[in-house]
Amino acid sequence: MSDLIFSQNYFEIFSLDVSTNPDLTKLNDSNRELQRLVHPDKFANADESEKRKAMQKTSLINQAFNTLKDPVQRLQYMLSLKGVDMNAETDTTMDGGFLMDQMELREKISDVRSQSDPLDELDSIAKELKKTSADLIAEFDKNFQTDVLDKSREVVRKLQFINKAQKEVAELSEQIEDELL
Amino acid sequence: MALLQISEPGQSTKPHEHKFAIGIDLGTTNSLVASVRSGQADTLADLNGQHILPSVVQYTSDSILVGKQAKENQVLDSQNTISSIKRLMGRGISDLKSLGDNLPYTFSDTDSAVPRIKTAAGDKTAVEISADILKALKLRGEQTLGDKLEGAVITVPAYFDDAQRQATKDAARLAGVNVLRLLNEPTAAAVAYGLDSGAEGVVAVYDLGGGTFDVSIMQLKQGVFEVLSTGGDSALGGDDFDHAIAEWIITQAGLNANDLSAGTLRLILQEACAAKENLSEQEQSEITIKFDESQTWFGALTRDIFHELIDPMIKKTLMSCRRALRDAEIEKDQVMDVVMVGGSTRTLRVRELVGEFFEAQPRVDIDPDRVVAIGAAIQANALAGNDPDGNLLLMDVLPLSLGIETMGGLAEKIIQRNTPIPVSRAQDFTTYKDGQTAMAVHIVQGERELIDDCRSLARFELRGFPPHVAGAARIRVTFQVDADGLLSVTAKEEVSGVEASVEVKPSYGLQDSEIESMLKASMEFAGEDKDARSLREQQVEADRVLEAIDSAMADDADEMLSEEEKSLILDARGKLQAARHQAKDTQELKAVMAHLESVSAEYVARRMNASVQKTMAGHKVEEFNND
Repeated sequence: MSDLIFSQNYFEIFSLDVSTNPDLTKLNDSNRELQRLVHPDKFANADESEKRKAMQKTSLINQAFNTLKDPVQRLQYMLSLKGVDMNAETDTTMDGGFLMDQMELREKISDVRSQSDPLDELDSIAKELKKTSADLIAEFDKNFQTDVLDKSREVVRKLQFINKAQKEVAELSEQIEDELL
Repeated sequence: MALLQISEPGQSTKPHEHKFAIGIDLGTTNSLVASVRSGQADTLADLNGQHILPSVVQYTSDSILVGKQAKENQVLDSQNTISSIKRLMGRGISDLKSLGDNLPYTFSDTDSAVPRIKTAAGDKTAVEISADILKALKLRGEQTLGDKLEGAVITVPAYFDDAQRQATKDAARLAGVNVLRLLNEPTAAAVAYGLDSGAEGVVAVYDLGGGTFDVSIMQLKQGVFEVLSTGGDSALGGDDFDHAIAEWIITQAGLNANDLSAGTLRLILQEACAAKENLSEQEQSEITIKFDESQTWFGALTRDIFHELIDPMIKKTLMSCRRALRDAEIEKDQVMDVVMVGGSTRTLRVRELVGEFFEAQPRVDIDPDRVVAIGAAIQANALAGNDPDGNLLLMDVLPLSLGIETMGGLAEKIIQRNTPIPVSRAQDFTTYKDGQTAMAVHIVQGERELIDDCRSLARFELRGFPPHVAGAARIRVTFQVDADGLLSVTAKEEVSGVEASVEVKPSYGLQDSEIESMLKASMEFAGEDKDARSLREQQVEADRVLEAIDSAMADDADEMLSEEEKSLILDARGKLQAARHQAKDTQELKAVMAHLESVSAEYVARRMNASVQKTMAGHKVEEFNND
């Protein structure tokens, strides 16, 4: 396997088109095929420099795989390909309606223990979040296709919020389940 | 059927040279060694036909006993007979308490962070004790295969952190075992199971050993074993069932654990273990414990009581299972098979609750004791190069998040748990003071937010980057986790391009120098190689001579020696210094040392005279007369 992957973007590494919704089956299969060629175990008897190279290549492939697998990281990466760095942002304004929704959601989550069936309540919040997330990804796609990057960036920022809320809901569900055990 | 191998022109007729490699399951309670011979992977037996080697080591003043015999001597010589040492691997003195008050050993007072157990053969660390087990397994491998070993794959619990993995690797180094890979136990089990059954799909491996619990969710596809997530508890296992029963016995007998001798505690533990095993067959188990001539206790442990004792522990393992499923983004109904591994899955209650949890009948048709070693042997065989166009590939993950300490004692995660390995991540740091040229980084592993709740792995000092005004330096620290799950760190100041040196202080591990000295010590003790030992003694002697000559010459070479004499001695000294490191046998080193002694004989004589004169100076001869 050549050193080409060091100069390819993450999508190219797996022979995928840059896309909001890449073919995940192909991503998985392609990952396995690449690892067969570059994984350090295939170089157990090689010299040190080849071993090191194998580790570097596999590390890169793993990094790329992880990024593309996760929707938020994937969209963030797509923006970075267009020169937009999410981390270096100074402009953090966000539309008021979305923020209000978020605050309400937060209250709902922190209130959940006082509900008659907290787990049921959390399930319905999770469903809601999943839908919001899907809508935002579609919105990103529309903006990214037409190169409206500042709008795309705002969508990713919203997705980061939603993502965080999703994690909190999952963790809280688990906590409550444990207490019921 | 081709009885004659007909070779194509130009094709080599030389048979492929088989290289021997072994798989080692270094367990808390039992260890095994396996190898692939004639295409078949199997565990290797000792001279008595025993496959299982109890992970017990007895130290006496002149011998080291490993295995069954040591285990039998445990009650009589509990202070010097060490079992379940895996629990202490990569652990610090501060961890001893949390590991339970059940350790019947005496720990020596030391300023090192690594606990040392007092034995008749001196203080022993967990690494040294594990090395003695590994030596026994290696020897078995060499004796059975009758050949030099290429190396070994050693299994570790998937949930072992960096310190525990490093300790295992150190033990191998001490035992003279070339580690081809550290392999996660559930992954090893899946290899043995998957290759055997030809299964494809998502498999959950539930591995409950003597002292550790692991669960891995894996995707099996065309020879690729891809770990999707892993979870567990590196301090929970079947031993804890025994301890729970032992505590129950002590309470029932109206005793206090603090009043009991180490030997009695050991006896109770053995009875507890036997009762646990009986309960897999019977509804209740009779227990008789003879404390001494006058005091005997009888009791009966029913399944109901037993379940009450162990259910909380099993439920803990199931929580890990649920988290692993969630991390893998897999629903229970997508799991094709639940594979049971580890001796403790023989406990019926474990099978029952695991089956309920996964809503499936767990697979118990594979030998839970041997499957890990067999999987390791298959991987070892492939890594040794015996399977050049094989399909086997193991893709594993990082079990616990890696992070660094930030302001306020918080842990900032750099690499999340369940990230496929190998993996590398770079993180930029800057200075907070003008002219700052060094910086300390504290690395931790774990999921909690507070540093104190995570495991401290190491403190790194970055030194030697050029001074800048505060905030202008950009130090890029790269964290690299290799395929064994072990972390290494490099650092570079990006503005100037200067590589900063990284000084590692493992929090609970042994320093390289400590391992070196253990290596030397074990060489001296083993007596397996007399020549090496006598060379080693001669080297120590050479060191002593070198040190003596250096200190003498620093004192008075200028006043007592002519330039010519001085260069003669220095030349001889240089030769000894070189021979000290290069000489292959004792005689060679002895000759060089004799040469130095002869050219410096005159100098030594002069010094002695001078010293006598100095002592006598200012005194009358009479004072030295004794009468």
